[in-house]
Amino acid sequence: MPAKPKIAFFDFTSCEGCQLTIVDLLQTHLGLLDLVEVVQWREAKTEKGEDYAIAFIEGSCSRASDEARLKQIRERAQVVVALGACAHLGGVNTMKNRWVMENVQTYVYGKDGQNAYETYPARPLSAVIKVDAVIPGCPIDRHEFLRIVQQMLQGRTPKLPDYPLCVECKLSENSCLNKHGKPCLGPITRAGCDAICPTYGDGCEGCRGWATEANFVHMREILRGHGLSDYEIDMKLTMFNHYQMHELGAKAPLTTSTTENVPLPTSKFSAPQED
Amino acid sequence: MSLYILSKEKLPEFVKALQAKFRVVGPVRTETGYEFDDITDPEQLQLDYSTTILPPKKYFLPQHEVLFQFHSGPNGKGNKHLELRPIYQDVQPTVIFGVHTCDMNGIMLYDKVFAEGFRDEHYMERRAQIYIIGIECLHPCDEASFCKDMGTLTAPPIYDLHMTEMDGHYLVDTGTEKGERLLQENLYVQMAQKEDIQRLGQLLSAKWPRFRMRLKVSKDQTPSLLALGYKAKIWEQLGDRCLACGSCTNVCPTCFCFDVEDRMDINMQDGERARVWDSCQLREFALVAGGHNFRGKKSERVRHRVMRKGKYIKQVHGLLGCTGCGRCERACLVNITIPATINGLHDEMQLESGS
Repeated sequence: MPAKPKIAFFDFTSCEGCQLTIVDLLQTHLGLLDLVEVVQWREAKTEKGEDYAIAFIEGSCSRASDEARLKQIRERAQVVVALGACAHLGGVNTMKNRWVMENVQTYVYGKDGQNAYETYPARPLSAVIKVDAVIPGCPIDRHEFLRIVQQMLQGRTPKLPDYPLCVECKLSENSCLNKHGKPCLGPITRAGCDAICPTYGDGCEGCRGWATEANFVHMREILRGHGLSDYEIDMKLTMFNHYQMHELGAKAPLTTSTTENVPLPTSKFSAPQED
Repeated sequence: MSLYILSKEKLPEFVKALQAKFRVVGPVRTETGYEFDDITDPEQLQLDYSTTILPPKKYFLPQHEVLFQFHSGPNGKGNKHLELRPIYQDVQPTVIFGVHTCDMNGIMLYDKVFAEGFRDEHYMERRAQIYIIGIECLHPCDEASFCKDMGTLTAPPIYDLHMTEMDGHYLVDTGTEKGERLLQENLYVQMAQKEDIQRLGQLLSAKWPRFRMRLKVSKDQTPSLLALGYKAKIWEQLGDRCLACGSCTNVCPTCFCFDVEDRMDINMQDGERARVWDSCQLREFALVAGGHNFRGKKSERVRHRVMRKGKYIKQVHGLLGCTGCGRCERACLVNITIPATINGLHDEMQLESGS
């Protein structure tokens, strides 16, 4: 084999759970380190090499000032891989995009919040730089990560399933949650996680993004059948995929406005009090 | 062949005796229904189950089946070298209890599909070690069943043993020599008497009115109806609704399509090739190199599935590809059903011909 490709990990707005998944993967698949040379990985090593071929980036871009760093990584790397739902979709960080940014800042950080922390509507990496491959999920599936790394090492185009989760539920002979009164976005969500949430009894929330042929009209109908209001359905569809739903626009219209003038939720957890 | 009497109390004894020599599987209870699973305790066996999400086809064609392992690397002379080692997965003496007559019809078709033309070694090896113990259906599973329409309400001649519950015991019919031995070697049973056989005849005739007919056309007419209706409007309507989730084909007792994939070990030299269930309802199924898709539209795929079930498979293997088991209807979240499709097509064709 030729010299080991140099890889690096980077994080933006995220919980770093995807990188943690990879650290954990190494406990059982240490051989991965024979295939690649990790030159930079803040979560797992001290040294910082700037010479890398493949950049794995976790997290969404949620600050204008992050764009420069992203572009720099893009320039240095031959291949950029979005790691996890935040990098791939914008993910849960985009939930805040439902509201006007100034209000979100004040809601979270108090009266001076706007000055305290910089923010802008969160977005996936692909909204800022060209992304060559995606490893979806919140968090990523470790086996899928490994498979995609192997495919890249073989010079193959990384391949994700483009069909919905239902396929994996059926192969595991799971009882369909939507058939038993539990809302599940499995019918429109990209498979590849082995339907882990439905397998343990929780409805899919769409963290892997939409299947290529997601049928939103009939998914909404199924969810209405569970007694969900249009607003609740919109909230479900925009939990991980706010950015995607707005990109789809008229192709998969939301029935209620989720961006303008919607009051911030009255949470049982109150906003932090100022001193 | 021969008919025996097996008292219900003796069934656990029979199961236990088999467990010593076989993998024993059968319908067991789940949180929401039933599924075929390994029987560890004879009490788990639920022969009066309604239906299961997956048919017993999973024991004939596993969802994920390794076909061979490979090793690549330099040989002694330093040349590139590839070694292959065939794998025969899940090949072990297996007894499947409680196979409904619809599912036996599905297995009968499987036996043709995998033996005729290209003979599938992996299937044949596994198949040779499977014993099928059928159970006579005296009541429909539920509203989705249309086995009577499809002519699958009687056991086809593929069972090794076939059980009918009657007056607190089972009448066991031996369908094959190996079934006969399976029974004789594992349990002391008595031959059924003349009265038992008469009573069985009555029981079997009495069951028919309990099953309703759902199709407006007879099953023998479906191939020509489908040929006429190839360009019908109903396909577009169904295609709009379809979620392209593949549930209908994955739960179907006669669907057998698979994809083949390679998995590499972490050393990047060893690996295995496996086949996994695939579905003609998925977008990439008929996508070929260069980007052309022979069935890019969902309407074309829905139509293809019904054509396969009601026409194409029959042309190739002589049997219809639908057993009327109702599983696709139960699995579908947008209420696409074979009876409504066939009936809708029938209505549309009638309207078109002005009759």
